[in-house]
Amino acid sequence: MTERAGLYVHVPFCLTRCGYCDFNTYAGLDHLAGRYVESLRAEARLTSPEWSGATFVSMFLGGGTPTTMPSKTIAGLIAHLRESFALEPTAEVTSEANPDTVDEPYLVGLLEAGVTRLSMGVQSFDPVVLDSLERIHSPQSARAAFTAARAAGPSDVNLDLIYGAHGESLDSWQRTLDEAIAMGPEHLSCYALTIEPATPLGRKVAAGLVPPPDPDLQAEMYDLTCSALGAAGYEHYEVSNWAKPGHRCVHNLGYWDGRPYLGLGAGAHSFRDARRWWNVRPPQEYLELVASGQLPTGGEEHLTDEERGLERLLLGLRTADGVPKEWLDPARADRFVADGLAVSRNGHVALTDRGMLLANELTLSL
Amino acid sequence: MDQALIRNFCIVAHIDHGKSTLADRFLELTHSVAERQMRDQYLDRMDLERERGITIKAQAVRLRYAPSPGAPDYELNLIDTPGHVDFTYEVSRSLAACEGAILLVDAAQGIEAQTLANFHLAREAGLAIIPALNKIDLPAADPDEVARELAALVGGEPADVLRVSAKSGDGVPALLDAVIDHVPAPSGDPAAPLRALVFDSTYDPYRGVIAYLRVVDGEIRGRDRILFLSNRFVSESEEVGAFAPEPEPVPSLSAGDVGYLVTGVKDVRHAKVGDTVTLARHGATSPLPGYRDPKPMVWSGLFPAEGGDYPLLRDALDKLKLSDASLVYEPESSLALGFGFRCGFLGLLHMDIVKERLEREFNLELIATAPNVEFLVRRGEETTTVHNPSEMPAPGTYDDVEEPFVIATVVTPSTYLGPVMDLCQSRRGSLQDLKYLSPERAEIHYLLPLAEIIFDFFDQLKSRTRGYASLDYEHWGYEPSDLVRVDVLLQGEPVDAFSSVVHREKSYAYGRVMTERLQKLIPRQLYEVAIQATIGSRVIARETVRAKRKDVLAKCYGGDITRKRKLLEKQKEGKKRMRRVGRVDVPQEAFIAALRVDQGAVGERK
Repeated sequence: MTERAGLYVHVPFCLTRCGYCDFNTYAGLDHLAGRYVESLRAEARLTSPEWSGATFVSMFLGGGTPTTMPSKTIAGLIAHLRESFALEPTAEVTSEANPDTVDEPYLVGLLEAGVTRLSMGVQSFDPVVLDSLERIHSPQSARAAFTAARAAGPSDVNLDLIYGAHGESLDSWQRTLDEAIAMGPEHLSCYALTIEPATPLGRKVAAGLVPPPDPDLQAEMYDLTCSALGAAGYEHYEVSNWAKPGHRCVHNLGYWDGRPYLGLGAGAHSFRDARRWWNVRPPQEYLELVASGQLPTGGEEHLTDEERGLERLLLGLRTADGVPKEWLDPARADRFVADGLAVSRNGHVALTDRGMLLANELTLSL
Repeated sequence: MDQALIRNFCIVAHIDHGKSTLADRFLELTHSVAERQMRDQYLDRMDLERERGITIKAQAVRLRYAPSPGAPDYELNLIDTPGHVDFTYEVSRSLAACEGAILLVDAAQGIEAQTLANFHLAREAGLAIIPALNKIDLPAADPDEVARELAALVGGEPADVLRVSAKSGDGVPALLDAVIDHVPAPSGDPAAPLRALVFDSTYDPYRGVIAYLRVVDGEIRGRDRILFLSNRFVSESEEVGAFAPEPEPVPSLSAGDVGYLVTGVKDVRHAKVGDTVTLARHGATSPLPGYRDPKPMVWSGLFPAEGGDYPLLRDALDKLKLSDASLVYEPESSLALGFGFRCGFLGLLHMDIVKERLEREFNLELIATAPNVEFLVRRGEETTTVHNPSEMPAPGTYDDVEEPFVIATVVTPSTYLGPVMDLCQSRRGSLQDLKYLSPERAEIHYLLPLAEIIFDFFDQLKSRTRGYASLDYEHWGYEPSDLVRVDVLLQGEPVDAFSSVVHREKSYAYGRVMTERLQKLIPRQLYEVAIQATIGSRVIARETVRAKRKDVLAKCYGGDITRKRKLLEKQKEGKKRMRRVGRVDVPQEAFIAALRVDQGAVGERK
């Protein structure tokens, strides 16, 4: 059987850093973009022999902000990657997009380059919330970007939304949801704001300048999300992800299902056969290693059976499909089913909406 | 040495009246310690003593002193005593080894509660008492007034009260001269069979029990077969010596001498403090008057934070017991805290010190349950002693419960009499006696339940009198009280570590405080947690920890699954360190914080 894998490409450039974000991304390094794309091509050449037996069912350009690069550059990169790897003709190809960096011609270019899915970092339609998140785009530019995407041609569009930032009320979140639903994207990712310690926002919270999110309010917002999106015809298929039927994100499902993936670019993670490895994080260092003909690997781990088991559980229980019942302690699983935290069907146990919000605790208890 | 040239004495004083500093001056004046080895509080050897500025363990030191040029050298044995009320029994031991005592009083503070307590102890022991004022050079000192108070207490003229500054050394030679003049020389019989009092002991891992001895009759040499009179235990002594001030072997100790004896005994129970040592052959047959065994007054469960450390804790207690005979302990098992020991202490300070020594010297992390006193439960003719609230029988199954009472002595400026009496009243006290030491200072005696004063009574007393009042107490006996056991339940499961026996009038307040405290300390869990305080089957207080609604990582892709897994593994570790009560996970820190005693006594009006 052919190995079905995912391909991730990391673009570590952003116009500005957002206060809550702890991804491997940098503002003010755009001058490296040209060399960086060259390095991605070189890294693809270095790694492709290893992956010659694998069929890639998805590609994901993430970051960072891939759309800080010209669409032509992206087109060249995708073409090169198609030469290096066996990407299925019908593969899902996602690009993340910042509303401020895209217009209709740009998006036309992306679609022509083979992008089939656009994931837009909208976060909120409430200016107060955007400000609190230190996002530089306005609600208007998000609306404009969405309109541009629809005009550019057929593609799946995802909107990323964040709830529970300081200053956001249940009403405000309801309005953001209503507006998102009215736009009618195929996919919605709704994340509860998580405070990461090593971010400007994390430091503000630690210093008491900004209150931490109230978990109960976030739970209310989550409940609201489940009911509003459910009523609008979206399926809740992962803790933070909703899709119209047939529009689930193939690439992200790969992570949750434990499929192998190859990550290219600074700080990108890869996984195959119980081995996980990751590239060095600083773009400069990444460039130098690849330029010298070396793999830019920064670290690796070999998962023990126990670690693998915990990961399968932790990832599988996040999804609507859940995990095979035999992975679980049957008595506890039954109790969670009885308590309405989980459901059991077709030999699988999956968490309910209420259960998903407690996935950590339940994973540890099962 | 000729007994006529020996003086055995101690210094008794209220805490902080300068006893250790005076001892330092004595050491210097008699050149007993080389100048470069001198340090403050020389006789307080334990780190803990030096850090806290208190004396925990008695020490003895031999001073050689000639009162005037050409006069013969006298041998002065100073026995330093602890100053805290927890260690009163140590004071009484030291007194038994002496013929005289310096009663030292701070010239600025005046007579305090422990001054009175120690004076009465010394007088009962028949000692010559030398009243002396210390700190006469303090700006706030009022030596004339305090001398009058002191003279009135010990009997005599204010002019007879010596005045010193232990800090500057002023008046210290005259005080040593007074020791020679007023303290009687020992009067034992050097030719009689050996009788020596063990007034303290330490344990040396290599040499075994080292007894501190006061030889009353006869003589003991380095290698003698010795006999402990109380248990007829025979051993071979390995060495005798004097404290000069470091241990220094001598060929023999004879009547009147103070020194140490390396007993050759490896088990401290065979060489008990208070026992009389004699020789195995031609020994004495009647022991010296011993003193009462120290009786633990405060009980608490000590549990290792890591369950696997139980054997280490047991070994540590066994070792500590070697140098602290007043410590008692018995194995205890708690549903919530696992295996540990129920330990008896002389008081809260003693408990604190033992816990700190266990943690420091044996590298243990401990959880201590809230301290309690001992209760006598009477059922018909039968009396049961209860050291652990969770062993208190259910209401209605006994006739009555008795708890220990003390007579507390409080010395306070008269302006604070009102607040002091209010405090004692609120702690179920009954006034016994009120006397004026002077128009400005009063001495009050209250009968109080020990349980009411062991926790924060002293702190409360200090805060209500701006630090001016002082406290001492002595045990009085047991009296019936209307006591009830309050249990704390999590989801209906009693948590034995939180059970407490309290007076009925204060039971509601206790229940409320404990449930409120736990409500804040127990993290939210998958299910709602009901916290209840009960007396028997009656619920007297209730709080709820609401169920947790959100516990998930919002984002879980980008491929860095490793980090998410590690976060979860950390959460798993945290869960493992929790104690499980029924279906409720209680973090260790919650036990420690909920059981802390320094948060104020329950039911106290603040």
